[in-house]
Order: sequence, then structure tokens, then C-alpha cells
Amino acid sequence: MPVERGRRRPLAASLVRGAALGAGLAAAGAVRRWVDVVEVHGGSMAPALLAGDWLVIERRTYERRGPRVGEVVLAPDPREPSRELVKRVAAVDPVAGLIELRGDAPDASTDSRDFGAVPTASVRWRAVARYWPADRVGWLRPPGAG
Amino acid sequence: MQLRLPLRPIRRVHAHCDVPCGVYDPEQARIEAESCYKIIEKYHGSTDELFRARCILAKEERAELAKHHIDVLWSDYFKPEHVEKFPDLQQTCWKAAKAASKVKQTTDLEAAKDLLSLIDKIDDMWKATGGPEKTRLNGRPS
Repeated sequence: MPVERGRRRPLAASLVRGAALGAGLAAAGAVRRWVDVVEVHGGSMAPALLAGDWLVIERRTYERRGPRVGEVVLAPDPREPSRELVKRVAAVDPVAGLIELRGDAPDASTDSRDFGAVPTASVRWRAVARYWPADRVGWLRPPGAG
Repeated sequence: MQLRLPLRPIRRVHAHCDVPCGVYDPEQARIEAESCYKIIEKYHGSTDELFRARCILAKEERAELAKHHIDVLWSDYFKPEHVEKFPDLQQTCWKAAKAASKVKQTTDLEAAKDLLSLIDKIDDMWKATGGPEKTRLNGRPS
């Protein structure tokens, strides 16, 4: 049946639709390079981030400057690079090009205390805001900044 | 098919903890080390060759367990800030692991005493770094 319908559809209309869809995907793809959304798994960032939180992340900032202490960042797990970690920047060593990552819940966090500092170059995404759950929507701020 | 809200992210990030169990207590190592101590005493107090053979077998198992529990504290519980607080922490854990090996190899009561005293040192550092409150469900049972 799909073959039948395909034959009846005018070729020009198909091309227009295809082009529109392609352009849409390309635009979404371009934005996706700078902004993305992620879901938090695990509890090592409690109470700031809880498992199941949905975050907006962006990667424009660290093209201009390095990560700063207190920012929530994404970094590949040095021990398992396919796993992306979300942790807070605890210290920055600009000379060595290294960043110390720490979970907000230090007793329930595997972080730089275990796997050491990570290269600054591997930290590209900054977590900006939480958009779910609805009652905790807001910007992500350093602890103690309110 | 899984229901997926259109706004739900596909990408996952991990606020990771290897295992968020976080329960530690040097008492675990101490009980195994006490077993070794008692077994060595009984070994020397017996002339029954079969019994003595069983003592050696049991002692080796217990000593291996003590060593394992020391390793877990050393590599999982203790963190760099604890090492800053106790500069001899690494040395003590290393010595304790070696003492456990010694207990495994010999029937020397002194080796067992040595292991116990090193585990007590680890216990002091565990307590001083908040161990009983932080790593047991309701503190260490008294």
C-alpha cells in the first residue's frame, strides 16, 4: 500500500516536503550543537540536582573561557569515557590545564578524589538550568549563592 | 512502547557514585583478625594433627578476609582529605594488609597481635573522620 500512495503523490510536493524537513532537521542540529537537554541519573549532586531532573546545557561559554569554580559541568568519566558525568567544579588549575570535579554529596560521590583531576579540554558543556520537575525550575547557581 | 514526553531528554548524565552503599566499619576486619588470634592459640594448644590442619585452613581463610576488609577501607572509605589529616594513613593501611598476609603465612601469635593493633589504628582514623555516624546506618552498635 505505501508504494501505491507514493506513486499517486506528485513528485514536486514530495521534494518540497523533503527539503522543508531537511532544513528543519539541520536547524535543530545546529542549535543542538550549542544547546541540549539531559536527564540526571544518580544522586551524587544532591541536593542541588536529584535523579530525574531535566537540565538545559550549553557549550558556548567554554569556547570563550574556562570553567569556573562552582559551575556545574559535564565531563566524560575518565575511567569509562562513554559515560558522561555531571559534577561541580571544585578547583581549577589553569597552568596544568586540569579541573577538580566534586559531587555536592561527597559521601556518595565518585569524583576527582577517586579518578583524579580531568583535562580542562574534556569539559565542554555547562549545565545552565533545570526545567523539570516544575516546582524546581530555575537557574543552577553555585552552592550558597541562593 | 515507552511513553516519552516530548520534552524529556534522551541524553543522560551521571551524578555518579560507584555504589552509593557507603557502609564501612573496621570492626569487620577486627572480627576476622580476632578469629585468627584465637585459632593460633588453639593450634598451639593441641597435639591433634587433624585439628591443627583445620586450624591452619580456617586461619588462612580468616586472614584473607581481614586483608580484604582492610583493602576496602583503604581504597574506598578513605579519601585524600583523610590522608591530609592523617599523614601515616597510607602507611598504616599498607602495614595492616601486610600484617594480614603474615598471619596467613605463619602461626605466630605476635603476628596476630600486630594485625589487631594496626586495625585498631585504622579504627581510630575511621572514627576521627566521622566513620561511625557517616558510614553506619545508626552509628556503630555499642
